[in-house]
Amino acid sequence: MSVAMQVDLGGLLMENPLTTASGTFGSGREYAAFVDLDALGAITTKGVSLKPWKGNATPRIAETPSGMLNSIGLQNPGVDAFIETDLAFLSAYKVPVIVNVSGHSIDEYVQVIERLEGEDRVGAYEVNISCPNVDAGGMAFGCHAPSVEAVVSRCRSATKRPLFVKLTPNVTSIAEIARAAQDAGADAISLINTVLGMAIDAHTRKPVLARAVGGLSGPAIKPIALRMVYEAYRAVRIPLLGMGGIMSGQDAIEFLLAGATAVAVGTASFVNPRAVADCKAGIEAYCVRYGVKDVNELIGGLIC
Amino acid sequence: MTPPTHEMGKWTDEPSLCPAVEVGRVAYNRRLAEGLFEIGIAAPGIAHAVMPGQFVHVRLPGMEGHILRRPFSVFAVDQGMALSLVYQVRGCGSGHMSSIAPGTELGLLGPLGRGWRCPPETRRALLVGGGVGAAPLFLLASALTQQGVLLDVILGAQSAGAQVCLARFERLAALSATTRIALATDDGSLGRAGLVTPLVEEALQGGLFEGARLQGVSPGGIHPGMAHREGGQPQEAGKGPTPYGYIAACGPEPMMRAVATLAAQTDALCEVSLERHMACGIGACLSCVVETAQGLRRSCVDGPAFNAREVLS
Repeated sequence: MSVAMQVDLGGLLMENPLTTASGTFGSGREYAAFVDLDALGAITTKGVSLKPWKGNATPRIAETPSGMLNSIGLQNPGVDAFIETDLAFLSAYKVPVIVNVSGHSIDEYVQVIERLEGEDRVGAYEVNISCPNVDAGGMAFGCHAPSVEAVVSRCRSATKRPLFVKLTPNVTSIAEIARAAQDAGADAISLINTVLGMAIDAHTRKPVLARAVGGLSGPAIKPIALRMVYEAYRAVRIPLLGMGGIMSGQDAIEFLLAGATAVAVGTASFVNPRAVADCKAGIEAYCVRYGVKDVNELIGGLIC
Repeated sequence: MTPPTHEMGKWTDEPSLCPAVEVGRVAYNRRLAEGLFEIGIAAPGIAHAVMPGQFVHVRLPGMEGHILRRPFSVFAVDQGMALSLVYQVRGCGSGHMSSIAPGTELGLLGPLGRGWRCPPETRRALLVGGGVGAAPLFLLASALTQQGVLLDVILGAQSAGAQVCLARFERLAALSATTRIALATDDGSLGRAGLVTPLVEEALQGGLFEGARLQGVSPGGIHPGMAHREGGQPQEAGKGPTPYGYIAACGPEPMMRAVATLAAQTDALCEVSLERHMACGIGACLSCVVETAQGLRRSCVDGPAFNAREVLS
């Protein structure tokens, strides 16, 4: 039995519902030895800013129960270098590219998009208003409906390409934030970014991370992510890109059932560099086992 | 045990290579000293490909709640097919690792990283290891010995018992007329008492390995009359003369810093191996970055071996 895997994520046609979570896959170059990049539904790049960002001091990661904390701080070479190296690398592939856009100010988000508008390899933008590891921008924009609307509407005016907005779980009402993004013109919503957390070394009495706090990812946050996808699915009409602790095809299926149209594999790629391909195979195997002819049948198919 | 027969690949400036996922089977897992263990893992693919200074990223069974892999430098390659790793029990991961039984299958990712890059014209090299930092130097010692490089090795540890890598170096030296070893221990139980730094200083001045019977030179490693008189490298103006063209150091960071500082007074290329917390091990996550003269570099793919002048100055 063949399974129809194609999904439409807010105007971005994906051959299958699998993409990579921003910041866990570079632009695919490091993983090309392990995964056929063209077999993915899309590649979501690491966050790109207008100018080069240095990121935070080390240690930048800490392992925690069933997960990890990171405070990379969006280290990236800036949009010009991104075009010259990353997009040039991806020009050898046909996989759709979702560029994660970061900024310290609304103007910076817009300028990154404007700089990328002439680049054919860009299939969609994912506006990152949810990074917990930068002082200005990032999550600061994503926690209040008015600032979400302000960023998203400015970005919306800058492009006709599919525009996704990546939301933080560190909010009181994900439904309210998701509606704000939709109302400002987003074509899809990515959720969730990492959960703000902390690790402390009792022996040294110091935080493990140089920046003290960081973003929690991995299986530890899957229940939070599923709950938020479930709530957002009920709050908005636009499709959802679900992520948070997906390690297997079965995890991915759970996100589709909760309401995600597509899913992103993140931390799992650090453990298993083939994780995103394995998750795709797992989705297909699930569909075969349960006689699902088209993955779209699963979206929001939760029985409750 | 068969002496190591590892053949070194060609030196390259390209970041590595073709890492692969391989299932390895534990051949042995033994305690060497208090808190120090050696695990042997049959993994022919990685064992064949690994170059000196590279590491493997290990996924331990029975630790599913600890999701990240653990990076370990490769200590030795036995019979061309088994990797030996030396590890220190620090947290629960390495504690659990010490209980893994022979026959257990482990998920390996490797070989990873850019290892030591001894310039091909090097005639004489100095390797300095502190504690388990001696381990990543052994494949390098084997390779340089095979290439006919005159090799001096200084190993420091807390005590005689903690010199857990020494036996392999001694077997190598016993088979090679051009390899010599000097030792230091914090408690003076083997070799010179104290840090390796004074030994390194003497070696760089050309004195340590020239005499036949110096205190702190291990009997297995000394070959009287084999002074490397011809090994001097061309000198830059203003730098002190040293017999060495290449110096590699691995151990606690203060030790590497001290070695690098001494080496900077000569014109020898000095490399150090830097260990950082890492997640992916293949250059994607940017967890393990190191501040260098050229900006941030990833210790997993741009290192772990770095030119000391670029990272420790």
